[in-house]
Amino acid sequence: MMVWGPPIWIYLWLAGMAGGAYFAAYLVNRFSRGTQEPLLRMATYLAVPTAMIGVLLLIVDLGKPLRFWRLLTEFDNIGSAMWLGTWFLLAFVASAVIMIILWNGARYVVTKEARLSLARIADIISGIGALFAVLVIAYTGVLLASSNQPLWSATYLVPALFVTSAVSTGIAFVIVTALVGDSRAVSSRLISRLAEADALVILIELVMLVVYAVWLGASHMEGAAQGLRLLVAGSMAPTFWVGVVALAILIPLILDISNWGKEIRQRGSATWLAIMTSSVAVMIGGLLLRFAVVRGGQLVV
Amino acid sequence: MAKAALVDMTKCMGCRGCQVACKAWNGNSGEETEFNGSYENPPELSASTWTRIEFYELERGWFFRKHQCVHCTDASCVEVCPTAAMHKEGEFVEVNKDTCIGCGYCALACPFDAVHREPPLGIARKCWFCLDRVQAGIEPACVKTCPTDALIFGERDDILKKAHARLDLLTSNGHPRAQIYGEHELGGLHWIYILDGYPSDFGLPESPRLATNSIVGQWIGGLIAAGVIAAVPFWLLFRRKRRLHEDEEFTRTGGER
Repeated sequence: MMVWGPPIWIYLWLAGMAGGAYFAAYLVNRFSRGTQEPLLRMATYLAVPTAMIGVLLLIVDLGKPLRFWRLLTEFDNIGSAMWLGTWFLLAFVASAVIMIILWNGARYVVTKEARLSLARIADIISGIGALFAVLVIAYTGVLLASSNQPLWSATYLVPALFVTSAVSTGIAFVIVTALVGDSRAVSSRLISRLAEADALVILIELVMLVVYAVWLGASHMEGAAQGLRLLVAGSMAPTFWVGVVALAILIPLILDISNWGKEIRQRGSATWLAIMTSSVAVMIGGLLLRFAVVRGGQLVV
Repeated sequence: MAKAALVDMTKCMGCRGCQVACKAWNGNSGEETEFNGSYENPPELSASTWTRIEFYELERGWFFRKHQCVHCTDASCVEVCPTAAMHKEGEFVEVNKDTCIGCGYCALACPFDAVHREPPLGIARKCWFCLDRVQAGIEPACVKTCPTDALIFGERDDILKKAHARLDLLTSNGHPRAQIYGEHELGGLHWIYILDGYPSDFGLPESPRLATNSIVGQWIGGLIAAGVIAAVPFWLLFRRKRRLHEDEEFTRTGGER
């Protein structure tokens, strides 16, 4: 029985990418003491429409789309992952929108003190946004894990796997945008460093995926082993091996590591091409991971 | 006192009168289906088919199992519902038709595949234990119609007593594998089965679990992953040591601050 179709797996991918891009940019900016704010701004501008498109898909998928507002007015079951996710998503997008307003509003403020205090408020809100970004990307996995589909709930790793994939696709999203847009806000040096970060995230994702598969195979839950077989040898195997293993993990890992430390000299250079290919592969692979898990989970009976 | 129904599959003859009674009482339309090699019909539960008799051809014979929402005490569908439309009405589980948004989460959380969300209604639909009848003191439509008394309705305690008496009779009369299903599962079901075999022989989960029983660990798993990612790639690659260098880069690339 297929309850959740394309709108859901595309949504999980988009929400993960939006939250992941923002979280990654926030960490880069924070650890480099606020010197990478243009990157954070770019990720924020990317996150808002991406998350909104995802939400739109989510609403369209409802059996009663016009009742979507009830998610925000019913408070009787606040432990529900879907209820929490709705609010986390709202808080995340709201923080991002407020930051965009503050950043742009600063232009119209005359005094230096006022400008500084606006920047300080934006800075605080960027931290709140990061918290909700993490909760959003974790929720995309928890949503699936609190169900009775063995592929989703037999292990504790679906949220962790989705978080790593979200950050990986988020970084890739930022890189692709910067490369395509020839962005001046994000230097080529920073892009190389982001690609290196993505390689490490993908490495963590690879470990998660292997542990997830082993855990599924060892699980006593009815259907867990069957789910694993479906992924690695059944009808979802092409998606799993080509989409998840090759596109999301191996190809970008090889490309990123072989270009480790290299500078992007110019648009279209070998390194440019490698990082571009790697990032596009990560994004497509992330979508196919959501597809494999969401669809595969519902194929196991 | 909690009510319950007994489903004695050793008395069922597969007439499917319960299916018709359910549709008739609840005003659910028939479904157009095609012959798929079995006399089972319709092929699955759906938003408009709330109960059906499943056929199981095992080596030792031909068996039936009535499939419907079993009204768990610890109901996964209730636990996951974001709008609390899926709720408890006493010991039974019911959908509020006005507040259900049709997200389908309950259908994926149910261990028994008993909740369905399909067009044209778009909201979750399932057996509601004929609450209108039960609250008026009469038995559910399917129980009423059952010609072999495979279905009995009553106080849950009495139902369990009858179930155990029947089980004793069965085990001492050549049905060593007979068992009761639903006495303790998920805090106790309100459709209690007598099965002549293992639950998995009849498409029932051997050890059904509450969908949300691992939710705290799932959240922690996701947050730990986020923490590891923050610490390993980002802290390692972007921490302050690069500050001066990046500052230069920053100025060169025309950032504003």
